[in-house]
Amino acid sequence: MASVWAKSLSNLPVLSVFVLLLICLPPGGGQKKKENMLSEKVEQMMEWSSRRSVVRMNGDKFRRFVKAPPRNYSVIVMFTALQPQRQCSVCRQANEEYQVLANSWRYSSAFSNKLFFTVVDYDEGADVFQQLNMNSAPTFMHFPAKGKPKRADTFDLQRIGFASEQLAKWIADRTDVQIRVFRPPNYSGTIALALLVSLVGGLLYLRRNNLEFIYNKTGWAMAALCVVFAMTSGQMWNHIRGPPYAHKNPQNGQVSYIHGSSQAQFVAESHIILLLNAAITMGMVLLNEAATSKGDVGKRRIICLVGLGLVVFFFSFLLSIFRSKYHGYPYSFLIK
Amino acid sequence: FTPLRGGLSGGLSQPAGWQSLLSFTILFLAWLAGFSARLFAVIRFESIIHEFDPWFNYRATHHLTTNGFYEFLNWFDERAWYPLGRIVGGTVYPGLMVTAGLIHYVLNLLHVTVHIRDVCVFLAPVFSGLTSISTFLLTKELWNQGAGLMAACFIAIVPGYISRSVAGSFDNEGIAIFALQFTYYLWVKSVKTGSVFWSIGCCLSYFYMVSAWGGYVFIINLIPLHVFVLLLMQRFSKRVYIAYSTFYIIGLVLSMQIPFVGFQPIRTSEHMAAAGVFVLLQVYAFLQYLKDRLTKQEFQTLFFLGVSLAAGAVFLSVIYLTYTGRSSYAKIHIPIIASVSEHQPTTWVSFFFDLHILVCTFPAGLWFCIKNINDERVFVALYAISAVYFAGVMVRLMLTLTPVVCMLSAVAFSSVFEHYLGDDMKRQSPPLEDSSDEDDRKNAVTMLMLMLLMMFAVHCTWVTSNAYSSPSVVLASYNNDGSRNILDDFREAYYWLRQNTDEHARVMSWWDYGYQIAGMANRTTLVDNNTWNNSHIALVGKAMSSNETAAYDIMRSLDVDYVLIIFGGVIGYSGDDINKFLWMVRISPSVASQPQESDYFTPQGEFRVDKAGSPTLLNCLMYKMSYYRFGEMQLDFRTPPGFDRTRNAEIGNKDIKLKHLEEAFTSEHWLVRIYKVKKPENRDRVEHKLRGADTTKQKYTSKKVSGGAEASSEGVFIQERTQLDGT
Repeated sequence: MASVWAKSLSNLPVLSVFVLLLICLPPGGGQKKKENMLSEKVEQMMEWSSRRSVVRMNGDKFRRFVKAPPRNYSVIVMFTALQPQRQCSVCRQANEEYQVLANSWRYSSAFSNKLFFTVVDYDEGADVFQQLNMNSAPTFMHFPAKGKPKRADTFDLQRIGFASEQLAKWIADRTDVQIRVFRPPNYSGTIALALLVSLVGGLLYLRRNNLEFIYNKTGWAMAALCVVFAMTSGQMWNHIRGPPYAHKNPQNGQVSYIHGSSQAQFVAESHIILLLNAAITMGMVLLNEAATSKGDVGKRRIICLVGLGLVVFFFSFLLSIFRSKYHGYPYSFLIK
Repeated sequence: FTPLRGGLSGGLSQPAGWQSLLSFTILFLAWLAGFSARLFAVIRFESIIHEFDPWFNYRATHHLTTNGFYEFLNWFDERAWYPLGRIVGGTVYPGLMVTAGLIHYVLNLLHVTVHIRDVCVFLAPVFSGLTSISTFLLTKELWNQGAGLMAACFIAIVPGYISRSVAGSFDNEGIAIFALQFTYYLWVKSVKTGSVFWSIGCCLSYFYMVSAWGGYVFIINLIPLHVFVLLLMQRFSKRVYIAYSTFYIIGLVLSMQIPFVGFQPIRTSEHMAAAGVFVLLQVYAFLQYLKDRLTKQEFQTLFFLGVSLAAGAVFLSVIYLTYTGRSSYAKIHIPIIASVSEHQPTTWVSFFFDLHILVCTFPAGLWFCIKNINDERVFVALYAISAVYFAGVMVRLMLTLTPVVCMLSAVAFSSVFEHYLGDDMKRQSPPLEDSSDEDDRKNAVTMLMLMLLMMFAVHCTWVTSNAYSSPSVVLASYNNDGSRNILDDFREAYYWLRQNTDEHARVMSWWDYGYQIAGMANRTTLVDNNTWNNSHIALVGKAMSSNETAAYDIMRSLDVDYVLIIFGGVIGYSGDDINKFLWMVRISPSVASQPQESDYFTPQGEFRVDKAGSPTLLNCLMYKMSYYRFGEMQLDFRTPPGFDRTRNAEIGNKDIKLKHLEEAFTSEHWLVRIYKVKKPENRDRVEHKLRGADTTKQKYTSKKVSGGAEASSEGVFIQERTQLDGT
């Protein structure tokens, strides 16, 4: 009795395969081709993602591997604009988070060919953006293995931000693939600090017989002034906001170094301001030097005039830059 | 030394007398100039409290003067954050209110009858005079008297400080900068003298600072840093030891007396550096003591090196933890924090705008200080470097940078003037042929420097007048012929609320206007500028951004009687609620997930109020309330009716009907609109006929009732009816 059961059971798959074949026979050639294509695609995707955890796509690749139907894998696409001339600082931050996530997936034990991470840059695939009727970057979309992306397949970046953990949660929600985000610890700060400490230590060791230079006030004063100039010229703003170095007008190719609005600045502009501030300070110091030093009269006269010139000229220059940025400011000095 | 000097000045009584008279006059004039420069708003408008936060401070001060000090400390304000309320006594820095209340009390004691509002309005300008005096004292300790006088003049008119201390801006910063400068003066004095007396004075001043402003953390980190650097520079002395030990212990105990600060000084990381330095100082002093007894010099220096390195590592790591904590806090950017424009980094334009020539010359003063270093100049150098760093990170911290910039600039200018303005009699042998030439040079330098300073004064006046003197409660517009229109809509509306609504009516508005409603209209608010409860704010944001029916449910659950909104479309006022609307949407999902920001944009990703705008936006409560009846209004013959001047668009939904709200009040220029929330009707109205309903409809309705999660009372009624029909 048992053996009979076993037999009929063993027959069942054979039978079902047969029936299935019968049903599928008419379009069977296409199916095979499709399967071939599919495996080819998967192979290609695997090869790319083994090289880089995030696969870069242009318009053609995107249509072939992400949009075209025979797929058994989900694709996460980041639409972004990373070219420096696009000035998208959010894109850069989002990209970092995305890389972290993709690397966590790439090197996790659960890595499989069910999920791929790709990126489409606006400057490489503008047609894709048009096709999807998309006009803001960065955008994260999930293209499921079957069917078209639904509403929830677009990641709600405005609401939940682009932290890797949030992205991972969203992906788990959409694809049932759990990714544990592993952030590579950031050693660069520690290394820099260690380097600095060892440098200073080495210097101290080399000069151990003559530690006079620690008591050198000029060196310390210089260092303090460097900090002050960096801050008052807005380097911290540059660091946080990441503006471009200068702006090139695409129509006539003119390069402007000064931003037209008082709310923003270019990197070049802040460097100019730094130099102007330093020149004015130097002028003040020289004026003082000319009066206190014990040198001969002619030399002192020259120092005094140079100092005065530095202060007056560069201050009026600074004022004119300020005036050009702060519209409606009525005052100027020497230079309009 | 002191008696000798006293004897000398007694001998030369005439010049010394002149000198002190002169400095007294200059300080008095600086006070006067600083005071009058801050009066633009009072002269243009009237004696009125400005903006938002000052209204709360004013209300609290008013409470203090009417109910007394202890009642104020125990004040539970049930008029804010309805239905939660707010424990005011434990959540404010009381220094400001107590100061104003004390002045009011003293004046009344002397039978000078003055309203508490006037005390509040003029408190900050009066304190600016005290700030310039304490700056004079501090700079005098650091450099000399001339520099001190110059610094006092600078700080009296510098825009970076005026921005927070114009008449009417009754805020913590107005008195805190005085407390900051005075604490630093007493600290420098106590380090110089090493006397417990000055050190105790420093502690008391620090106590005042703690009671006045959260910026006291700057002091409690800068002073330990100073001591630490002095140790590193091997400038340790008994004076430093006495000054710091006294300051730390008594300052700690005093600062913990403020209810809002409580046990923070021994718990949180920003106070740990002070404790670390205190321990280090004790160890160092102990080692010094041993050094006198022992002879193993080598061993001792090694030991010292190890200890100081360890302590330095601890100090640095604490600072590192503090600031990385802060930056990651900003990185998460909770929308409420991101929405406040003060928490932004500073461009060079802001530096120049607020400090003008001082920002270019104060590095020179820093240079002179470091070149001629001593104990107290170490302090000012550290002050300058740390303050300039913080000012670079956040715009509002420009305020702490301003005093040190004034001091160091004064040092730079006064040392130049000292050399070029002084008479030649001191010089022993000036070459005769060059003397006239040298005089010319000196005159040229003096004249040009004076011109620069004059430009600074002109700049300060212009900035104060144009940028920092708007009360923002009263608006002004100018016609082509220069005549002025005053738009007093805010007060008009708040006064309407005060006169025409029930005393316990609850007014819902966006949090920006909470303090003003409480202060001017004296009505209960749901949320206000003390943004301590995000979810409550989010609930209000959700009500504003939902459709009317959903919003009605929320408003019913919050017992709202009136809704107040700001609408600038008629006069082109850009700070209105429609422009803030996206923040409401952004903040709202942090509790509930229904409204999504993308729904309020067009498919092209634009925020538009005209016909192309998204239907969700065109039907949400805020839109409806802003533009109710606006479609009938033609402002101009050139534009169609319903043309919004702020957003330059013809509105998309002109036919707005309100079901659960009714318009209660609209101010003259439509700037403030108030709606009354209707009470639910006694009996629900049935909107379709009772009889003659056919069977198909019955099926449909009963199905809806069974399937829908929210069975409205109307549906239940229908269900009952169908059952009746069936039987």
